[in-house]
Amino acid sequence: MKYIIQSFLFFLFFPLVILAQQNINVTGVISDEMGMPLPGATVIEVGTVNGVSTDFDGNYSIEVLEGATLEFSYVGYQTQSVLASTKSPINIALTPDNELEEVVVVAYGVQSKQSIVGSVAVISESEIQSQPATTITQAIQGSVPGINVINTGGIPGTNPTIRIRGIGSINASASPLIIVDGAPFNGNLNSIAQEQVTSISVLKDASSTALYGSRGANGVIIVTTKSGTRSTPTKISLSTVYGNSTMATPMHDLIGIDDYTQFFWEAYRNNEMYENNLSPEVAAAAASSNLVSAMGYNPYGIPEPVDNQGNLTGDASWDTDWKKTILNPNAYKKQHGLSVYGGSEKTTFYFGSNYLKEEGQVKTTYFERFATRLNVDSQVNDYIRSGLNLSYTTSKQNSPNQSGSSFSNSIQWIYTVPGYYPLYKRNSDGIIINDSSGTPVLDYGNNSSQIVNGVRPALSNENGLGAITNNEVLKSRTYVSMNGYVKIDLLPELNFKSNIFYERATIDDFRYTHNKFGAASTVQGRVSQDRDFFTTLNAIQTLNYSKSLGLHQITADAIFESYQFEENLLQAQGTGYLPGVKVLNGSTVPEGVGGAINQERILSAISRFSYNYNNTYFAEVSFRRDGSTRFSKDTRWGNFYSLGGSWIASNESFFENIDWLNNLKFKFSYGELGNNRGIGYFPYLQVFDSGFNQLDNTGVISSAFVDPNLSWEKTALYNLGSEFTLFDGKVNGLIEYYSKESIDLIYDKPLALSTGNESIKTNVGAIKNYGLEFSLNSMVLKQEDLSINLGVNFSFDKNKITDLTQDEFINGSKKWQVGKSLYEFFIRESAGVDPDDGYQMWYKDVETDDGEKTGERITTKEYGDATRYFIDKSSLPEVIGGFNTNVSYKNFELSALINFSFGSYVYDSVYASLMSGFESPGRTGHPDLAKRWQAPGDLTDVPLFLNGQNDFNSRSSRFLFKNDYVRLRGLNLGYTFEENWIEKYQIQSLRVYLQGDNIFTYQSHKGIDPEQALSGLTNSRSHQMKTFSIGVNLQL
Amino acid sequence: MKKQYCILLVLGNLLLLGCEKDYLDQPKPTESVNSSVIFESADGAEAFMSGILRLSRDQFERDDSGGLYSMYFARVVKGNDLILGFQWYLYDYENDNRESTYVRTTFSWEFPYSMINQLNLLIDGVKNSSNLSETDKDAFLGQGYALRAFYYFQLAMEFQHTYSYDTSLPAPPIYMEPALEGKAMSTLGELYDFILSDLKTAVEIVPENRVNKSYINRNVAYAILARVHQVMGNWQEAANAAAIAKEGFRLNSSEYSLGFDDINASEWIWGMPQRSDQSNYFYIAPHAFTDNVNDGYGLAFWNKEFVSLFSPTDVRNTFVDLYKVGNGNQYYARASSKFTFDFSSDIPIIRSPEMLLIEIEANARLGNENEASSLLLTLQKNRDPNARASGNTGNALIEEILVERRKELYGEMGVEWFDAKRLRRGITRTGNHRVGSSANLLPDDKKFFLKIPQKEIDTNTYIDESINSNR
Repeated sequence: MKYIIQSFLFFLFFPLVILAQQNINVTGVISDEMGMPLPGATVIEVGTVNGVSTDFDGNYSIEVLEGATLEFSYVGYQTQSVLASTKSPINIALTPDNELEEVVVVAYGVQSKQSIVGSVAVISESEIQSQPATTITQAIQGSVPGINVINTGGIPGTNPTIRIRGIGSINASASPLIIVDGAPFNGNLNSIAQEQVTSISVLKDASSTALYGSRGANGVIIVTTKSGTRSTPTKISLSTVYGNSTMATPMHDLIGIDDYTQFFWEAYRNNEMYENNLSPEVAAAAASSNLVSAMGYNPYGIPEPVDNQGNLTGDASWDTDWKKTILNPNAYKKQHGLSVYGGSEKTTFYFGSNYLKEEGQVKTTYFERFATRLNVDSQVNDYIRSGLNLSYTTSKQNSPNQSGSSFSNSIQWIYTVPGYYPLYKRNSDGIIINDSSGTPVLDYGNNSSQIVNGVRPALSNENGLGAITNNEVLKSRTYVSMNGYVKIDLLPELNFKSNIFYERATIDDFRYTHNKFGAASTVQGRVSQDRDFFTTLNAIQTLNYSKSLGLHQITADAIFESYQFEENLLQAQGTGYLPGVKVLNGSTVPEGVGGAINQERILSAISRFSYNYNNTYFAEVSFRRDGSTRFSKDTRWGNFYSLGGSWIASNESFFENIDWLNNLKFKFSYGELGNNRGIGYFPYLQVFDSGFNQLDNTGVISSAFVDPNLSWEKTALYNLGSEFTLFDGKVNGLIEYYSKESIDLIYDKPLALSTGNESIKTNVGAIKNYGLEFSLNSMVLKQEDLSINLGVNFSFDKNKITDLTQDEFINGSKKWQVGKSLYEFFIRESAGVDPDDGYQMWYKDVETDDGEKTGERITTKEYGDATRYFIDKSSLPEVIGGFNTNVSYKNFELSALINFSFGSYVYDSVYASLMSGFESPGRTGHPDLAKRWQAPGDLTDVPLFLNGQNDFNSRSSRFLFKNDYVRLRGLNLGYTFEENWIEKYQIQSLRVYLQGDNIFTYQSHKGIDPEQALSGLTNSRSHQMKTFSIGVNLQL
Repeated sequence: MKKQYCILLVLGNLLLLGCEKDYLDQPKPTESVNSSVIFESADGAEAFMSGILRLSRDQFERDDSGGLYSMYFARVVKGNDLILGFQWYLYDYENDNRESTYVRTTFSWEFPYSMINQLNLLIDGVKNSSNLSETDKDAFLGQGYALRAFYYFQLAMEFQHTYSYDTSLPAPPIYMEPALEGKAMSTLGELYDFILSDLKTAVEIVPENRVNKSYINRNVAYAILARVHQVMGNWQEAANAAAIAKEGFRLNSSEYSLGFDDINASEWIWGMPQRSDQSNYFYIAPHAFTDNVNDGYGLAFWNKEFVSLFSPTDVRNTFVDLYKVGNGNQYYARASSKFTFDFSSDIPIIRSPEMLLIEIEANARLGNENEASSLLLTLQKNRDPNARASGNTGNALIEEILVERRKELYGEMGVEWFDAKRLRRGITRTGNHRVGSSANLLPDDKKFFLKIPQKEIDTNTYIDESINSNR
C-alpha cells in the first residue's frame, strides 16, 4: 500500500517542481497532393501526445517545444515529419499512401502495425460493430486465427473458455491474460458492454506478450474502450435491440412412456433369465409382477401394465414431457445503449451506458446487466496529459444448475427422468393431489406414505420444474473500476507515465432452497449466501524514450509494476424458514458461517528496447523479472524475455518494380514466459486446513502433500510469420508458424491411492503446442454502390508431451506418455455385441505367462480385463477457424461470421447414460435402444437390456464421436438511411438491422451442443441459443 | 534546467518503489495453519485428532460412499435380513459391486488409506515433537495407533479372504509413515500382525478420558482389539478385550426404541456425531436409508424370516407394516423404526452389547458354556422381559449367539456379512427378498472381497494388472 501512496503523493506535487518550458506556436495549412485542404488531418508533436487536428479549411495551430519534430498525418496519406520552427506558417502537402498505417494497441502502449515484430491480431471497431453481440468474446470467436473460444452451456452471462494457440497448461490456468485499458482485469468479461469497446488486440507470440512476463504465457487479450475525439462536436448515439431465442441445436431424442415401460420389462426379464438363470417363463412372469414395484409408480393403473409376453395391457394416464416443462420455448433478449462523446481542443470524453436483459434456455434463467463507463482524457498543459476511465457494472443472473451431477441440474433431469414419472403428485390411484387452494402439487418423488406413486427410484426428493421455480440461484455482481494516468513529457524524446488501476468486484451468490419441497424441506428451507469482495490494485510506472537519428529509430521503455489481488470471502447458511421468507435473518437454525482473506502480489521490473532502420529492419528485445507470492522465497523470482525481428522486404529497392506486391513482411520472435495462475495462493506450503471441527472442538486436517520447490511454469515460444498485401491493397493476409513449449508444467501428478494422497501439485514435464495459422482478407469488389469483402482464417494446432519426470501415468480417460497428445483418448475399445448372447465386448491384449504382449488381441466381456488403448482420437480439433464476409449495396449492408471446428472427438457421456439399457430403474433412454440385441443371432451394436449392474455403457470407444461443426455465428443485415431523409429530424445517422446469432449449425454428432469442454467429455450441459433480433442505431 | 530534477525525481521514485522489501512476504495463508502450531501444543494435536475424526464421517465421494458409515451400510445390505428397495447401495444389495473400476471398490480403498495418511502424519508429528509432554504424546499416539489399526482392519476385511483362509495371500500395502511413493502388497499375515501390534501399543498408552464419545479412549481401543481377535479366532484375547471394552457402558433397553441417533446413549462405546451445522445431510447411513417415514431415501425393509425371530415383547422388535399390506409376502411389507433420520442423527460405530456378545461367543468357544449361557440370558432378558434360557449347548449355543448378534446389531455394522466372512459361511437369500439367489454368497466366496482398484494399479509401480487376475 505504501508504495501507492508514495507515488500518488509524488504525482500530486510533481507539477509544482516543473517549470514552464519554452514553447512556440506553429500554424499552417495541410492539403492533399492536389492542393485541396484536408479537414481533420492530425498534427502531433513527436514523442508526446500533444496534437491537434485541422479545421474544415485545413488550418491548424499547435503549441510545441522549440526544436520538436511535428508529424503530419491523415488517413490514407503518407505521414510527414518536419522540424518545428517559428518560421510559421508550415504548410504541408501530403501524398496518398497505398497502405493505411494502422496503429495497434500492444503491451504497455501502441505501435504502428508495420513495426510489430510479433503476432498480434486485431479486431477493429468496424468489425465489432458489424456483429452486435451481447458479449465481446462472441466478437473474438472465429474472427482471428489461433483462438479457440468455447461457450460451454447456454446460461447467458457465463464466461466462455478461451485458449490461444493450443492448451499450454493443465492445472495452472491456460486462459489468456485479459487487459482492459492497460490494467489486468480479473472480472467477468461479460461485464463489459460490446458497444463500449473500440478494439480488441490478441497477442499471441512471445515478443508481443513478454512484457506481461509471468502472466503472458497463454497469450493476452487487450480490450480498449472508447474515447472521444478532440475538437469535435458532442454526439449522442442510441441503440436498441430486441431478440428472441431458442436452442441452437436440438437435444438428444428420448423414448416415450410406452417404449420405456416395455423396454424396462424386457431388461428385468433379461436379468432374471440371463444373469439369474431363471427359465424364460418364470423370468417373464417375475418381470410382469415386479415392474410396478421396481418403478415405484404406475401410470397405467393396472397391477401388471406389461403381460408376460412383453405386451402393454393398458394406456398410461400421463406421459410427462420434461423438455417442454423445463425449457423456455422463447427466451427474449433486449439491449439498450446510450453513448455521449466528443471533445474540445484539449479534452475528450466518452460516456456510455448500456442495459441488457437476456433469458436462457432453461426457464427462470436470465442475465441482466447495467454497464456504465466514463472515459475522460485531457491535455493539462503542453507537457502533462492525464486521463481517467471510470466504469460501473452491475449484473444479476438467475442460473439454476445446468451442468454437472446435482439432482437439481435441469438438463440432467431431462436426460434422466422418463415421462413415466408425473409432474404433479398423484395418489396411489393416479389421481392428482391438490393443495388446500385446489392447485396441483409438484411431485418430488418422496412421498413414502404411498408404496405406489410415492417414491421415485431416481432423483427422489426433487422435481425438475420445482428445482427451477421453487428455488433461487441468484448471482449479483458489481464491478467498480478506476483507471487513471498521468503522462509527463520530460524531454522531447523522454516521457514518464504513471498508471494506477483499482477494481472492486462484489459478488453475491445467493441460494434459496424451498422450505416445503426438495432437499431442504426437512429443515424448512435453506438460505446460503456468499458475499465476496475481490480487489485489484495495479500500479505501473513507465519511462519511455524514443529518438530518431537519421534513418535509425530507437525506442526504449523501463517499466515498474506492482500488482495486488485480494479476495475477501464471507459465507453464511441457515435453515428453518417461514414460507416466503428468503433472507438469512429469517433463519431459526444457523448451519454455518465462514470467511477468509487471501492475497497475492506480483512485483515486476520490465524493459523493452526496439530499434528500426529506415522503417525496413525492426528489432525488439524485452525483459521482465517477476516476483510472485505464489512461490516460496527461493523459487519466487522468475526471469522472462523475448527477442524478435522483422524485415519489410517490400521496402527494398529490388521489390520496387513489382507492382502487384504492395507489402511483404517477414518476422521472427522467440521468448520464454511464465505462468503462475490457477494454482492456489500458497501451493508450496504444507499446511493444515481448518474447518474440520468435531462438535465444539476445533479441527484441522493436513492438506494434500505439496512440493515445496514448486516453481514457475515456463513457456518457450517461437513465432515465424509473413504478412503480405497485394494488388493495391485488394488482398492481404498472413501466415504464421508457432511453437509453444511449456516446460516445468505444473500438474496434479497422480499418486498411488494407497498413500492416502490422490495427487501432488508439482512441475511434471513439458508439453508442446505447435501449429500454423492463416488469414486472408480480400476486397473482392469495390464499386460506387457495391462492395464485397471476404475473409477467411484458420489454424492447425497440435499438442504433444515432450518430457515427463516419469515414464508415463494414467489419469482418467488420458494417458501421459512422451510423444503423445494430452488430448488423445486412452480408453477401452468396443468390440461390438456378441451375437450369441447380446453382451457388450471389448478388446484385450493377449499376454504370455510372463506378461509379454504377443501383439494379438481377443475380445472379452469383462470390462475390467479389457485393455486400454490409444485409439488415435483426440478431443482437440485439427483445424479451427472462421469465414467472414461483408457485402454492401447502396444503403444495405450484409455481414456474416461463420466459425468452424473439424477433427475433434467428443465422448458423449450423456448419450452413454441414455444407452444404459435400463441398468437401474427410473432412468430414461435414447430411441437408438430399439436396435438392442433380442435373440441369439441378432447383429447389432446395442447390447441386450439388463436390469442389473453391468459395464455395457462404461467408458469405451463406443461413445466416442467425431465432433465437427460449422456454425453461422452471426448474420447481420442492415439499412442505413440517407442523410437527406433524416436531416430534417436533426438526426445524423440512422441504421436498422436484423441480426441472427447461431441461426445455423451443422454438426457431425447430433444431440449435443458442439462446443464442449476441451477434455472432450460432455456434462449434461444446456445448449447455446439461436437468437433472432432487430435493432436500431441512431446518432444525434 | 529543472528537467533534470524531474528525471531524478522519477528515477528516485522508481527506486523507492523497488525498495519495498517485504512487499512479497506480507501475504500469508489465512485459512490454514502450519505444522509447528499443530505439534507444539496439546491443543494443536487435539485439533488434528478432531479433524481426523470429522474426516471419517465426511462426504467422501457420493451418497453411498460418504465415510465409515457407508462402508458399514454396504456390508449391511449384502446380508439376508435387510431388503433394499430401488435406491442407493442397489448393487451392493445385489452383491454385484466389486469390479476394479467401480466407485464402491475405489472408495473402500481410498477412504481408509486417506485416513491412514492423516494418522501417519499425526503419529509422525507427535513422535517428533519437542514440546509435547510424554503424557500428551502417549495420549495422542494411543489414539493414533488404535485408529490406524481400525482402518487397516477395514482394508483387511474388504480386500482379501478372512484371516483363517490363508495368511500368505496378498493384502493391502502397509504404510507406517507418510509416503509419496506407493508400496507393494503385503500379506494377510503381515497385515494382521501390524494391526495387532498397533492395537497392543494403543491399549497400553491410550487414556481412559476423552473429549466425547466420538474420540478414542481405552474402551474403544479394546473394542477394536476384541473385533480383531474375534476375526482371528483368538478367543481368550477376544473375551478379555471385550470385557474391558464394555466397562462402564451398561445395557439400557429403554434406549433401544429412541431412534439410535444419540451418541450419549449409555450403550454406545464409540460413535459419530452429527449436528445441524456439521451434518452429512442425506449421506447419513443407516438412518437416511432405513427410515421410511422421515424425508431420507428410505426404502429399506426387513426379511419376514428375520422379523419372525423377534417376540412381540422384545424391545428390538421395531417392525411396522407401513403400507398396510398385512403379514404379506411383498418385499416392502415390513419396515423398521430402529433408526430415526434427521440431519443431526448420530451414528453408532461400536456398542457394548456387541462386546458382550463377543465375550459370550468367546466363552462358548472356549468351553465355558455356563458362563456364556448366563451372560447371553442377561442380554436377552434386558431386551425382552419374557426371555427364557434356551438350554442350548455346543453348536446350538453358537448358532443362538450368532442369531442374537443379528437381532441386536441389525442395520448397524453389517453383522451378518462380518460373521459369515470370519466364520467362512455363506449368506443365502431366503424369505421375501426382492433379489434372491443371484445375490447369494457361498462360503469363502470371492464376492466377500473387492478387486484392487484400477486407479491404484495405474499409479502404483509395485502393483500391476495381474493382482486382479483370478480375483
